[in-house]
Order: sequence, then C-alpha cells, then structure tokens
Amino acid sequence: MEKKDLIIRIAGQGGEGVISIGDFIAAACARAGQEVTTYKTFPAEIKGGYAMYQVRTSLDRIFNPGDAFDVLCAFNGEAFTKNQHLLVPGTAVVYDYPGGDFEPEIPPGVYPYPIPMSRMAGELKASRSKNMVALGALSHLFNINEETLIEVLSKKFRSKGQEVLEFNLTAFTKGKALAQELVKNDPWRMADPVAPKDVIILSGNSAIGLGAVLGGLQFFSAYPITPATEIAKFVAKHIPKVSGVLIQAEDEIASISQILGASYGGKRAMTATSGPGLALMSEMLGMATMSETPVLVVDVQRGGPATGLPTKHEQSDLFLAVHGSHGDAPRIVLSVEDVNDCIHMTIDALNLAERYQCPVILLSDGSLAFSTQTVAAPDLDTIPIIDRKRWDGEGEFNRYVITPDGISPMADPGTPGAMHVATGLEHGPSGAPNQSAANHEAMHAKRFGKLKTVVDVFKPVEVDGAGEADMGIIAWGSTIGVVREAVARLRDEGFRVKGFYPKLIHPMPVSQYEDFAKTCRSILVPEVNYQGQLSYLIRAETTLSPISFTICGGSPFTPIQIMHKVKEIVSCP
Amino acid sequence: MSLATTSKTPLKSRDYKSKVPVVWCPGCGHHGVLKAIYDALAAAEVDPSKLACISGIGCSSRTPYFINSYKMHTLHGRAGAVATGTQLARPDLTVMVMGGDGDGFSIGGGHMPHMARKNVDMTYVLFDNGIYGLTKGQYSPTSRREMKSYTTPYGGPDDPLNPLLYMLTYGATYVAQGFAGKPGICAELIKGGLEHKGFSYVHIFSQCPSFNTLDTNDFYRSRIEMVPPDHDVTDLGSAMALARMGHYGSAPMGLLYKEERATLDERMQMIIDGTGGHAGYDKNMIINELRP
Repeated sequence: MEKKDLIIRIAGQGGEGVISIGDFIAAACARAGQEVTTYKTFPAEIKGGYAMYQVRTSLDRIFNPGDAFDVLCAFNGEAFTKNQHLLVPGTAVVYDYPGGDFEPEIPPGVYPYPIPMSRMAGELKASRSKNMVALGALSHLFNINEETLIEVLSKKFRSKGQEVLEFNLTAFTKGKALAQELVKNDPWRMADPVAPKDVIILSGNSAIGLGAVLGGLQFFSAYPITPATEIAKFVAKHIPKVSGVLIQAEDEIASISQILGASYGGKRAMTATSGPGLALMSEMLGMATMSETPVLVVDVQRGGPATGLPTKHEQSDLFLAVHGSHGDAPRIVLSVEDVNDCIHMTIDALNLAERYQCPVILLSDGSLAFSTQTVAAPDLDTIPIIDRKRWDGEGEFNRYVITPDGISPMADPGTPGAMHVATGLEHGPSGAPNQSAANHEAMHAKRFGKLKTVVDVFKPVEVDGAGEADMGIIAWGSTIGVVREAVARLRDEGFRVKGFYPKLIHPMPVSQYEDFAKTCRSILVPEVNYQGQLSYLIRAETTLSPISFTICGGSPFTPIQIMHKVKEIVSCP
Repeated sequence: MSLATTSKTPLKSRDYKSKVPVVWCPGCGHHGVLKAIYDALAAAEVDPSKLACISGIGCSSRTPYFINSYKMHTLHGRAGAVATGTQLARPDLTVMVMGGDGDGFSIGGGHMPHMARKNVDMTYVLFDNGIYGLTKGQYSPTSRREMKSYTTPYGGPDDPLNPLLYMLTYGATYVAQGFAGKPGICAELIKGGLEHKGFSYVHIFSQCPSFNTLDTNDFYRSRIEMVPPDHDVTDLGSAMALARMGHYGSAPMGLLYKEERATLDERMQMIIDGTGGHAGYDKNMIINELRP
C-alpha cells in the first residue's frame, strides 16, 4: 500500500516550545488543504519533563495519529533516547547538534540531519527561539509549506507586536538556512498544497466546548481537572456571547449540583470533568435520574484509579459512567471517536438529556482531549436543537405523571399553576413522597422504560465492511479510529475483517451487536483499560463472548498492535 | 430576587401554605420557623410562582414541601449548591434555602463559604437544633461539647463551630439570628433577608424536643439577647464581636450585619455585557475563530 501520509514527531522538554511548533505545523497543513491529526503527551509537571507532539498529515482522511513517525525532531538527548527504538531504517531524524546536550549514535539506515538549534538560538541571544530554528529546518527538509507556515506565524504573533513576529521569522529563516547546507536524501516530503477545504482546526476538548455552545448550552459549571479543563476554557470565553453563564464551583459535587439547579430553572446545563470528578458526582447523578432533571456530564477519561496517571490516556471509566450511583439509576452514556464527534455528539448529548429528562454522560479520553484535528466547519442550519417537553397549561399539572412514553412534561419556575417539587425522595405522580412498593416499582419502570427508545432514536451503530468475516472488531471511543485503519490495512492484506463502532454505549443496542456477531466467526474488543470493561458489559447484556484485548500503558493503541492481534487469532489468508 | 408587583390583592400568610401536612414532632421549634417563613413571604409580597425553595436532607429540609412554591428537595448538604445554579440561571426568581445545622455546616460545609463570598442572591434560613434529628439524635457541628448523644454516650469530643462568625468571615452580606420561640422576630429577619439583594443568612435556634434534651426551649430563651439598639449593622468588626460573644455566653438576636455588594448574577451580567453578548449572537463568529 502506497504511503500517502507523513508523520512528524517533535520531542523535547516541556517549556521548549515543542507543542507550539506542532500546532503551527498542524495549522499550516490545514491551510494547505491537508487533513491533520495530532497526538501529544506532556509531563504532569508544569516545567520540564518530556513533551512530545506528533503531527500526521495526508490529503486523505486520517483516523488516528499513526503507528510511529517517519521523521523525528529531537530537541535534546532525553528526547532522542526515548524514541531511539522507533528509529527504524528509512526514518529521518533532525536533532540538536552540534552544540546540544548530546551526540547521538545514528542507527543504520536512518537519515540524520544535525541542526545546531541551541547554538543558533544562542547566537540570536534568545534560547526561546530554539523551536523556531527547528521549525525552519523541518519546513525546508520536508516540504512543509512555507507560505502557509508564515501565514500561521503572522496570525499567531501579530497580537504580540511586529518585533516579536520579526524575531521569530528571523529564527525560522536561520533554521531554514542551516537545513539548506545539508544534503537531503530521504524520501519524506509533505504533499504540495491543494485548495484548502472549509475546515476548522481544534482539539477534542475545544470541540466539546464548541458543540456545547452550538447546541444551545446556557449554563456550565466547571471545576479544574486534567485533562478536561480546556473544555471550560473554551466555554468560558464564548458562552457569555450567547448570554450564557459559566461558573467555577468549589468542587465537582457543587458543579453537578449547580447544573441540576440551573436545569430545574429551565436552562440547558452541563459540566465537564475527569474520572475523579465523575466519582464525586455519582450521588448527584442518581438525584438527576430520580428527579428526572436533564443534565450533561462530560468525562474526559484519564489513567486511574485515585490520582492515577492524570495526563495519560485510558478508557477505564466505563463502569462508573454506566453504573456509577447508588440504587437503580438509569442514564444515557455516549462515547466519542474523534474531534468531529466531540462537536456533534455534544449537541446530541444535550438534546438527549432534554428529550429524556435524565443525566447523559459523554465519554472522551486523554488522547482525544489534546489531539488537534481538522474537521468540516459546522453548518449552523443543520444543527438540531431538541428542547424538553413542557407543560401545555391544560388541566392539573403533575410533574411525574405516568405517560405512555414515560416522559412527563416539565414546567419552569415562574409558570403559573405548575408549582411542584422536584425531589430525590421516591414520589408519586405529583411529586409528593410515596414509599409504597407499587409506586416505587411503577416509577422505576417509568424511569427505565422511557430510555427504551434511545436505541431507535440514536443513529444505528456503524458497521465497517460487509458480508462474512473471520474477525469482527468492536471498538469504542478513540480506539475506533485506530481500528478503522487496522481493518483497512488487514483487508488490503487479504484478511476478512469487519468493524463495529458503537457511539451509544448505554442503553446498549443489543440486537445490533447480535446481528453483527452473526456475520463474524469471532469477535475482538480492544480497549485501553485493564479489565476489558466493554467486553464485560457485552457479555452481561448480549449473547456474545468476545475476546478481550486490553492495554493500559498510558497511550492509545496503534493500528499495528490491532493488526498483530488479529493475525495471532486468525490464520493467514 | 423577585417581589410580586402584579398581584392585585396582597397575599396572606396562609396563601403560602401548601396542602402537604407538616410532619414534625409536636413541640418542635421548626413549626415556629415555618410560621415565620409564611409571614415573611407575605410581608415581602413574594409571588409564589416565582419562588424556588430548595433544601437538602434533614427534618428542616422538609420545609419546602409545606410551602406553596416551586421547590427542590435535593441531597444531603447540596441545597446551597443546587440553589446557586437555580439563582444564576434564573435571577428573576426569589430563591430560598432551608436546612439544618448538619446539612449546612457538616456535610454541606464546603459550599457555605462560596455562596457567601460570591454573594449569591438568595436567602438561607438555617434551622439550628444542635442535633441530627432525622437519624434520631447524633451530635452535630453546633452541639455543645457536653452533649451526650447516640454517638457520644460519654459526651462529645469536639467544640461546636460558630455559624455567625463563619458566615461573617466568608463575606455573607446579610447575617441575622433569631429563635423559633420568637416567630415574629424571625419573620422580620427573614423578610429583611428576602428584601436584601445578596446572600442573606438567617440563623434560627429551633429546639428539638425529641432528641436534644440539652438545648431546651428554656435554655435558648435564657440565652438570647437582643442586638443592642446602637449596634451599627454596617460595621463588620462589631458584628463579629457580637457573634463571638454569642459563642461563649448570651446569643445575639436580630440583624448583625448588612452590606451592599454586587451579586454574582450582576457580575455575570457584566461579563455578558462586556462581550456584547445576546441570545441572537451569530455563532459563525465563534466558528470563524477556529479556522486555521
């Protein structure tokens, strides 16, 4: 299969501008008509520690950050050492030499490009310009479009004054000149620019914020937690423009309490957190279920339990999201695959909360949180807004009246004639406390029953491939993007494989799982947690007996890992 | 806060009474506080359909059921946080919180400072009976140390906290104290809280005849002392001195402190106005900022 993409990994120390130049490359590529997906890791410390930014670009759609890199740019010895094992023959390495803190031994077959980044930054009397020297060199060596890069730099630095811009451009030009002195003999070059598409470029976290604002959000309560905080940053900036409110609460318990209060007041409300915060919210999630109050909670998962691996990727909050509360507390759980989903499924999640008057949990994850991707610019005319069913003013108002679809009309405070209590005590149709056995059973049936149509209302699970397969792969969250590529590559190699990509995790679309399984000889469920949480839920709720394939090393899967696993199980074609 | 201006005939106290029967024990101080709340709502002419009464868990947290209004009966300790959301989402409403000493200062203690310092425009009526009544008599954060209770058979190990000093310290802009045996004074203080723009904290001693045999009606009666007529309610230092005095000896009754300060919803509106925000804002402007 001809390789149409290019993957550049920049590695260095936190604070050296690794992340900045990664962002510049991503934006420049987007301006040059390329699709972009990035992946970054950064230290849990504020200063220092290893930081890495990987940019994958292609003229075709990209589903994940890739297996490994084609080009490494190492800012220091640690960055080189950490990636040395990935320097396979044919890859290229740009590194800080001479004058850096290391003199690397270049593995055989690797194309070396020593660029004295630190020394040049020293000559420019600004150690902070090291990254711009590197960027100039990378641009020249790998055909990263200079014109669009300079546009991006101008846009970025314009607000900081002409002097800052000039200075950065000087460092960029110096880096380019250094690269021009070297002989290029590797094959890696970015595709030439094509007409730019109508895209925006943003991280998964910003995309959830954008989806919230586009989805009519009016109230957000925030509490800082890695890796979710950036969602609040986006919403805080933009929600006042649409007359909405973001408040920073004293803790996550207060956050979810405040959004329940705001939703009772008639407003679309959400919060965003990570696993530890979701754990704190679990009691109030039950309150949202019991009082039938629409709320959206986004959980950007990280490594756990406890403080765990706060900046690392994991998909281990599924049990908590699906079952986390006391009592029988139904809710809707969705999970996003990519940045595009982060926008559109946040809108879906707000709509589902309103429609079904229940808590909705949207699961994202650490790698998606900070992955920058190009996505089609949203078209405001096609964004659906579904509001809660409100009382029509006819007859007597009973907040929890039993209806055929289990959904009872709500009334905002201020509505004459509809004064009622929203309560966490078990209650009868009027809201008055009622502890009788018959009532508790009837109300449970109402709260669970109303969610039965969710699987019909939500879009069907995407099946990747047709006909019979030797292996069906079920993936959730950002693992889907990895599986998409693995499935395509395995097919190219002659394997009969299919993918099944649920976004509605709970209630589980059981018949769709079973229909899919009927076409596959075996089922594999790769996920980034120790227990195989989706596998567990599949075994509990369906007749499937999937093979669980789990990793939990703080990073997402790569396509090659999935391919190897499939090949282990399925004999060669 | 929204005071009714449209109703033709003024509402009477009984118009705020819901049809739900009151469930408290005979002799419970909460009956007096409830009467004071009805009277205060009538006196402040609050429109019941624009009133949101929010509570957590405890005997006093049942109060919203007895009031003709919109109401939420939430989780233990969370009433204030829920009410903060309702108030910010709907500044046109009158928001009240009713709850007890355990609900407010033990499990919900983390929320108290923030409602106060943010000056959330609501009235918090705290029924202090110095005991967990609904769970049949455990010592609370306002119990006296010598109290022998369910969980302190030999007397309690901790000193009580000082709610008035706490709320003054964290920046509540209206702080008052009453006694359930004096519902007329309580009604005046609650009415003042409803009319005050900002976070109003009204602390009311309310005896629990079933489980707190230490803090009897007679005990409270002997302890309370009216705030001196020459007390300056705008002087935080004097208010704190009165609150401290109450901790060790007599308990001041009346309004201790009142301050005019911008409320959280007013400051939020300033942020919205600062961005030129309005409901019809063209969201394409936000999308355009994200182009590469």
